[in-house]
Amino acid sequence: MDETVGPSEMIVHLGPQHPMMPGPFRLNAKLRGETVVDSEVEMGWIHKGIEKILENKTYLQGITIVDRICYLAAMTNEEAYVGCVEKLAGIEVPERAQYIRVIMEELSRLQSHLLGMGEYASFVGFVSMFMYTIRDREDVMSLIDSVTGARVTHSFLRYGGVKDDLPDGFKDDVKYVFGNLSKAIDNYEELYRTDAIYKARTKGIGVLTADVAKDLGVSGPPLRATGVAFDIRKDEPYLVYKDLDFKVCTETDGDVFARIQVRLDEMRESMHIIEQCLDQIPSGPIFPENTPYGKRSPIMRVPAGEVFHRVEDPRGEMGFYMVSDGSDKPYRVKIRGPVYPTLQTLPPLLKGVPVADIVAIAGSMDTCTSEVDR
Amino acid sequence: MDANSIISSLTGKFPEDIYDSDIESGIRVVVKVKPENVVEVCRYLKEDLSFGHLCCEFGVDYPDRNEIEVIYVIGSYEHPVVLTMKALLSRDNPEVESVVPVYWNANWYERETYELFGVNYLNHPDLKPLVLPKEMLGEWPLRKDYAGFPNKSARNLV
Repeated sequence: MDETVGPSEMIVHLGPQHPMMPGPFRLNAKLRGETVVDSEVEMGWIHKGIEKILENKTYLQGITIVDRICYLAAMTNEEAYVGCVEKLAGIEVPERAQYIRVIMEELSRLQSHLLGMGEYASFVGFVSMFMYTIRDREDVMSLIDSVTGARVTHSFLRYGGVKDDLPDGFKDDVKYVFGNLSKAIDNYEELYRTDAIYKARTKGIGVLTADVAKDLGVSGPPLRATGVAFDIRKDEPYLVYKDLDFKVCTETDGDVFARIQVRLDEMRESMHIIEQCLDQIPSGPIFPENTPYGKRSPIMRVPAGEVFHRVEDPRGEMGFYMVSDGSDKPYRVKIRGPVYPTLQTLPPLLKGVPVADIVAIAGSMDTCTSEVDR
Repeated sequence: MDANSIISSLTGKFPEDIYDSDIESGIRVVVKVKPENVVEVCRYLKEDLSFGHLCCEFGVDYPDRNEIEVIYVIGSYEHPVVLTMKALLSRDNPEVESVVPVYWNANWYERETYELFGVNYLNHPDLKPLVLPKEMLGEWPLRKDYAGFPNKSARNLV
């Protein structure tokens, strides 16, 4: 962005203290009157250096680190990291462990969408909506807590399996929580579909077309809201997703309203997936037997090689590229986060919109800025 | 479109620029390309083989071989094949053509690789630091011989 400011122009900084995007993120918007002329995203406020840290930790220690990339999607981050090691070492995951992983990842997607949606509602003026979604999210968090023993940073997956089995009565707990949650989601949708102010703030705002979104490298709900059915769970199935019945939720408008609608539909699909998993889950080991890695060894050597593994994060495509040189620490890990390209789209998307819509557009992307600033 | 046809199409079109290729599985392909022809190969990939989705672009440092590998991971919205393209650069003066004219979202990846590895991207529209503070510029922190965070950078903060 050109920093020079004309006589009728001014630069407004949104974030890190602005309530729109608290966190390690700043958006500099140049305004002429009420209109955004140009904008620029600034990052690098808490550069965590996770890629460098991972080079100095053993593979097992790495699991706790990747949790902290974005704690709203800790479980899918682990899946991408652990999946890399499993591909490199050729470890087979027992079927029961795969089902448990799918259940936990979909629960993780539920709580992430609930928070993202509620936070978004508070951006456009529905502060009470945030309270409702936080309450419902708390029930989902308790379900995750009852399995992993942690609320946000789980360190739950292991190479070849999971840390613990599901507790007794888990299925009944899920049934109870989902009964309430599906009613709540219907209520949210009704509110979103009927409220005139909400519709005025979201319909036709921040429109991404399918071609532009593909060109910009967007993935996840912002891409699916433009009508492109791109979902790693379908396109490149990992775990047991190919045995499960679910559909990829898409909308056609590509505006803010469509993005929120995609998240609402995805929550219903996630609940559907978890219910299927709980019905189908076989009994058996949760950890492979008779493998050199089966002892959960803290110092484990992974064969040399390179691998790229990607999974469907709540926000889009999460990929890890791992280079191993045969030692007990990874030689290089590259984290391909979904929010990184999504944030890049903000400057072209914000050009020419009124200043009041900045918050609506940026918030609807559900950007987890800590993941970008890794 | 599967891995075999992609490899044969690529090597047929660029017999000299692509000097090494490997099929890891039905959906994973690795090619090594000469650094000066990265942009032409990318343009062919995008326009003729429908590789429209640049997943990421980054560097890997190999001090023993005195090389920096710039790796492009390119996927597609149409077919499930993911192509890993490697360009090997000299570590003394790493330079490669920018692929921003082909893949728009390479912009930030290249800025990041520039400040973390010191790879110079020719003809990049806006090659300036993205994530590092000013004091750490020119230190290339993700290179393997970087002295380390507390010892070197704490001095700058005091």
